[in-house]
Amino acid sequence: MVTDRQPPGEHRGRVLVLLDGSPPSRSALVAAAELAQARGAEVLGIFVEETNLLRSGGYGFAREIGGSSGQIRPLDTSRIEARMQALAREARAALQQVMLERGIHQALKLCRGHVVNEVLSLARPEDLLIMGRTGWSATSRMLLGSSARSLVRQAPGDVLLWSEYRLHPRGRVVVLLNHDQGANHRAVGTGADLARRHHQPLTILVRTDTGDDSPLSDSFLSDLQQTGLTTRIRLLPMTGAAGIIRALREENATQLVLSRSCRLFNDPQADALLDAMQLPITVTP
Amino acid sequence: MTLPKALTEEQVYHRCPPETLDFDTTDALEDLDQPPGQERILKALEFGAGMAAKGFNLFVLGPSGAGKNELVERFLGQYSADQPVPSDWCHLHNFQNPDKPRAIALPASEGARFRDDMHELVNELKTAIPATFESEEYQTRMQELQEELSRRQQEGLYKIQEEARQSNIAMLTTPAGFTFAPMRDGEVLEPEQYKELSDNEKELVEAKVEELQKRLQQTIQQVPRLRKELRERAHALNEEMVQLTVGGPFDELRQRWAHLPEVVSHLDAVREDVVEHAEAFQDSSNVPTGLLNRYRVNLLVDNADTEGAPVIYEDLPNHQHLVGQIEHRAQQGNLYTDFTLIRGGSLHRANGGYLVVDARRILSHPMAWETLKRVLFSGEIRIESLERLYGLVSTVSLQPEPVPLSLKVVLLGDRMLYYLLSHYDPDFLDLFKVEADFEDDVDRDGESYQLYARMIATMARTVGARELDRSAVARLIEHASRLANDQQKLTAHDRVLKDLLSEADHWAGRASRERIEAADIQQAIDEREYRASRVRERSLEQIRRGMVMIDVQGEQTGQVNGLSVLRLGAMMFGQPSRITATARPGKGQVVDIEREVKLGGPIHSKAVMILSRFLANRYAPMAELSLSASLAFEQSYGGVEGDSASVAETCVLLSAIAGVPLRQSLAVTGSMNQHGEVQAVGGVNEKIEGFFNVCKQSGEVNGQGVLLPASNAEHLMLNGELRQAVREGRFSIYPVSHINQAIELMTGLEPGVAGTDGEFPEGSFNRQVADRLAAFARIAHKHDDQADNGRGDQDDGH
Repeated sequence: MVTDRQPPGEHRGRVLVLLDGSPPSRSALVAAAELAQARGAEVLGIFVEETNLLRSGGYGFAREIGGSSGQIRPLDTSRIEARMQALAREARAALQQVMLERGIHQALKLCRGHVVNEVLSLARPEDLLIMGRTGWSATSRMLLGSSARSLVRQAPGDVLLWSEYRLHPRGRVVVLLNHDQGANHRAVGTGADLARRHHQPLTILVRTDTGDDSPLSDSFLSDLQQTGLTTRIRLLPMTGAAGIIRALREENATQLVLSRSCRLFNDPQADALLDAMQLPITVTP
Repeated sequence: MTLPKALTEEQVYHRCPPETLDFDTTDALEDLDQPPGQERILKALEFGAGMAAKGFNLFVLGPSGAGKNELVERFLGQYSADQPVPSDWCHLHNFQNPDKPRAIALPASEGARFRDDMHELVNELKTAIPATFESEEYQTRMQELQEELSRRQQEGLYKIQEEARQSNIAMLTTPAGFTFAPMRDGEVLEPEQYKELSDNEKELVEAKVEELQKRLQQTIQQVPRLRKELRERAHALNEEMVQLTVGGPFDELRQRWAHLPEVVSHLDAVREDVVEHAEAFQDSSNVPTGLLNRYRVNLLVDNADTEGAPVIYEDLPNHQHLVGQIEHRAQQGNLYTDFTLIRGGSLHRANGGYLVVDARRILSHPMAWETLKRVLFSGEIRIESLERLYGLVSTVSLQPEPVPLSLKVVLLGDRMLYYLLSHYDPDFLDLFKVEADFEDDVDRDGESYQLYARMIATMARTVGARELDRSAVARLIEHASRLANDQQKLTAHDRVLKDLLSEADHWAGRASRERIEAADIQQAIDEREYRASRVRERSLEQIRRGMVMIDVQGEQTGQVNGLSVLRLGAMMFGQPSRITATARPGKGQVVDIEREVKLGGPIHSKAVMILSRFLANRYAPMAELSLSASLAFEQSYGGVEGDSASVAETCVLLSAIAGVPLRQSLAVTGSMNQHGEVQAVGGVNEKIEGFFNVCKQSGEVNGQGVLLPASNAEHLMLNGELRQAVREGRFSIYPVSHINQAIELMTGLEPGVAGTDGEFPEGSFNRQVADRLAAFARIAHKHDDQADNGRGDQDDGH
């Protein structure tokens, strides 16, 4: 029934990790190393020098406005280039250090262009793309950067929005579903995979208008029972992001899996959800 | 002058015939509430306990072991029963000034209820407030708040971004912030392409960028204000929620404690504090205990089970035990305290009632006496640690609100302590105005027998001894007279009697008797005496073996048996001492050898001076007394003190002057005045028994005896063996009232009374003394003449 699910431990894809030298991206690097180790995959670090940014430094009137202070400072190409190079060096050093420690094969791809385009050109459907949750957008307090948003929507494979989280002894992996069956299967499969790997029980949150879950639960349960996972299915009325956050807290969620097609992404509050929940989110195609 | 008759057996012992007691055993006797014969102290106690004015605290003075404590506790126990139960006292957290915990009074037994109520409340807060924070309502409202903030933040940025986009300007994020650049088709324009634009266009772009920069700057700089606003609104929301949650429980408590405004105001303060610290309650598993502890009640004094006014005996009256202390808890190597660690002292517990303290103990603890005085003067109990009082620590600590004091302190101590304190401590008489003096002895008369017997019965029951039969009580009464050293008195010394009863009980048990009989009492007395008799036995042995020379037979000139008493611990015993005298012509001086070598005390010296003046007055009233005499206590290597040897010294001195021998079978005790009258002395029973023992060990007691002052006769309570010798006429006790009687008894010669011419009758003892002194005077005169002539010759030679 689950056609596009791969048997565990046989991932052939790479782990792609988007690096920008920021603390969240470094934390994502560590997560990437662990995942790569578990999958026996190689890690490809991607560092993109954003052309738009480089170009913007070329104007005589270019200024930088401090993200926290609001201070206006002069900006020029050489300064941006120097900063980019420094970040790239840092990213390379970090990548090497983290991967060498674990004996993982790694490579760094340096490119210049648009982040989304560059990453999409490198990513293959079997690859897992990992991004630090806030990335550059942290400075702006914008919740989910536009690049991250685009990648989540367009990436051919799974995307993991990494975030440091608190370990909870009774933590669970939570999969958030809606009614699109095909996409849901992939999400549940990924969730089951995570749950197995982390030895945690699985919760499937089903958003429903009617309270009727029969078409979903029967097929899922029979399939999941074979995997030997402790699974719980919970129905959730079609509430906004706040309702989901509460449900996730109640479940002590440590990982969230949801499908790209999930209607939540259309919700204007989705960003708030992602921001409020300090937990890694895997988005499946 | 008639010679005194020897005392009869009845006169040397005041018996208590068992027939005078109208019961069979002490079981038939009721307990005695108050000891007999202590009316003075009871009156003083009643006055002191009831006197409200300041400073009327009591000092109960009496010898140790007299039963002061028991008497006071029994009295106060009865007296306080009808008095009102004082308030409970609590320490509470002071929300205005946390270093100064408040103290409030609650009606007795309500303190514990208040403490429990607050304990309940704390438990409720611990669960109810976090539940509120976890509620959907709160979560949603908080979420809304946060969303509103982020929306307002983003809106600003979004608007700028949007406006920039519309003007074909890109807003880009840099690692440290934002920048703006002209854009075409979603791409930032190459600077070369930009140069191709017309000046007009360039101007427009640059002006727009500058405007956008400024607006972005303003927007970003508003963020802190927005965040502050969020914090304030979140806090207001928290307060509102907490207010609603705790409203119910607090209102209920306020109603319950409406009769105590102080409690109500504390409840309000707690409520305010809870609301203020609403955020601290958000995590139910992690509500800070320090915060919650502040709402608890430290019940300092709990009078829930107190009946009447409290009577507290503090057996370790040091500073901390009196005023209480602030304890500390060690937490990760730090010492930490709060108002819940304040411990009350005995002053707190006794407040509103009576505090009984042993004076010697309180004086022996550093600062305790000063503390007690300070508290009594100030009328409030202020808890201050000893180290602070000494200035040894200066760390911040608590200063609990002082508790007003209203109590009576009853100090127990011996008389010496009372007089010393009155003399040396200027505060003492200000604070302890009521002197309750314990009677050492009670009168012995027909009426007192019954009461005394009841007291013995009570004591026997207190110490858990068997009942006493009538004979035992009679024997004990007799012994009580002996302990009082007076035929007309009975001792009131509690400890001695109780010890004796316990011992008698022991011996009765050994003899498998169901009740204590006279023989058991006697055995207890004898055993006690035997246990303490080592030194007495050694002393007797030395006399027996001739190391210490005492004659109890025959006659000797210039030698007499005096009697002295030794006190060792609780034991007293008498023994004879040989006093000797020499006499030769001289310049009217009597040398007290003891005094010369500083072995004699001032009273002894005074007695010797009195006797030398007596001599001069009697035998040379109109002429110079030409005498050089000396007096010594033979084989006495310790000190000699007291005037009880005056009569003996007079006799021996006169014997030495007149050359008339004295009977060695009689020992002499008694003090004498300048007119030759004999005065009473102490320890007569021991002295007589001491001499009797010496006589007994030197062979048969036959014809020996003792001269004692007639006024001492009623102090005699002599032992059975001695009484038997008196009955059989083998040992005589002569009460003498004048030195002449002593002279006649000791020498067998008529002393003789001087006629109108001043001459004593021929052949009388005094005549012999006078003649001898006249002969001394002649010799001395001659000697003086010769000496004068010799000096004259020498003068001539020059």
